[in-house]
Amino acid sequence: MALLSSQERRHFPDWDDPSQCIFHRVTVDLDKCDGCKLCTLACPANVLEQYGPKGRKKVRVKADARGCVSCNNCHAICENGAIQATRHYDFVGYYRQLGRGDFAKPRMF
Amino acid sequence: MAEGPARVLAVEDAEEVEKEAGHGSKITVVPEGAEWNAVEQVMLQRRSIRRYKKAQVPAHLIRRLLEVARFAPSQGNCQPWKFIVVRDPDMLREMEDYCVGQCRKLSNGFDYATLPRGSLKYRIARIKAKLLGRLQPNLLHPVPVSAATAIAQGRFAVFHRAPTLILILMDKRGIGVPPVDIGICGTNIVLAAQSLGLGTCWIGFSKFLNESRVWCERLGVEQPYEVAEAITVGYPVGDTTHLIPRETHEIVWFEGGNKQVLY
Repeated sequence: MALLSSQERRHFPDWDDPSQCIFHRVTVDLDKCDGCKLCTLACPANVLEQYGPKGRKKVRVKADARGCVSCNNCHAICENGAIQATRHYDFVGYYRQLGRGDFAKPRMF
Repeated sequence: MAEGPARVLAVEDAEEVEKEAGHGSKITVVPEGAEWNAVEQVMLQRRSIRRYKKAQVPAHLIRRLLEVARFAPSQGNCQPWKFIVVRDPDMLREMEDYCVGQCRKLSNGFDYATLPRGSLKYRIARIKAKLLGRLQPNLLHPVPVSAATAIAQGRFAVFHRAPTLILILMDKRGIGVPPVDIGICGTNIVLAAQSLGLGTCWIGFSKFLNESRVWCERLGVEQPYEVAEAITVGYPVGDTTHLIPRETHEIVWFEGGNKQVLY
């Protein structure tokens, strides 16, 4: 069986339909987040923002976020390991991701 | 039976030659579960850096990066590259402005996600995008298109205000698949940069420079060369070296007459 069906190969996802272009899957551990804002600087897609009262600021994904590429620069820069992308972006149809397994940090073999 | 062609030097012969020459090299096996070595660590810690400190990178370090680039492997050792280094802030700003303008052109009237749904403009843009996307599925992938829109809206930069830019030009007459050689060459640059405490980012939108006669003339880009890629170089903001999780990929493994699928 083909990896992509002929129907999928013909279907180019609608850029404005979040059910066809699945971008951000970022989780923030609010207990660990100290609101330092470094991740908002590191994010290439500019989808993170600070919120909350002064002194207790936290970070979150913007409501209208589009374009997170799961690069995990946010995780790389975070001193507390509070934020990470947990899944890769995916699309419906022509661009559907193939042959991807679970997320894992570098594994020593 | 007719005599066959002259035998090529077989592996057994090679080991024999090694022994005769008196330097039979031993095989050193790195044990299972060993710590990452320096090279592996650099590879794992490299991130694409888009926030740079204002401080310029000393010229000798850029020369060092280009020196390791020169020794990258290429098909038939054809070395189909040429480098242009830009460290003049005014010139970088003008380059940024030009590429932002091109992103605006790409995004406007094309990225229908930015237009009011159901409007005539929306419908025209959508038809255009669906048609052209089929012809250029790599360039018009949803990711670069949304990046072009972010640049057009000023939420993102092209060259990230890095103090140094290395343009990698490709000799289109290269052997086999010259873009692969450019990728390998640039990988030498970014990994060496990481090992020197520098941050880098690949800039695909630099290819817009090829479309401008003014920029080609100013930079000296002419046939048979074209701008293939660019790499920004600077000191990164923040410590980006914490190791990250990333998805595993399917590995098909043939051994001992069996086929296995690993991740």
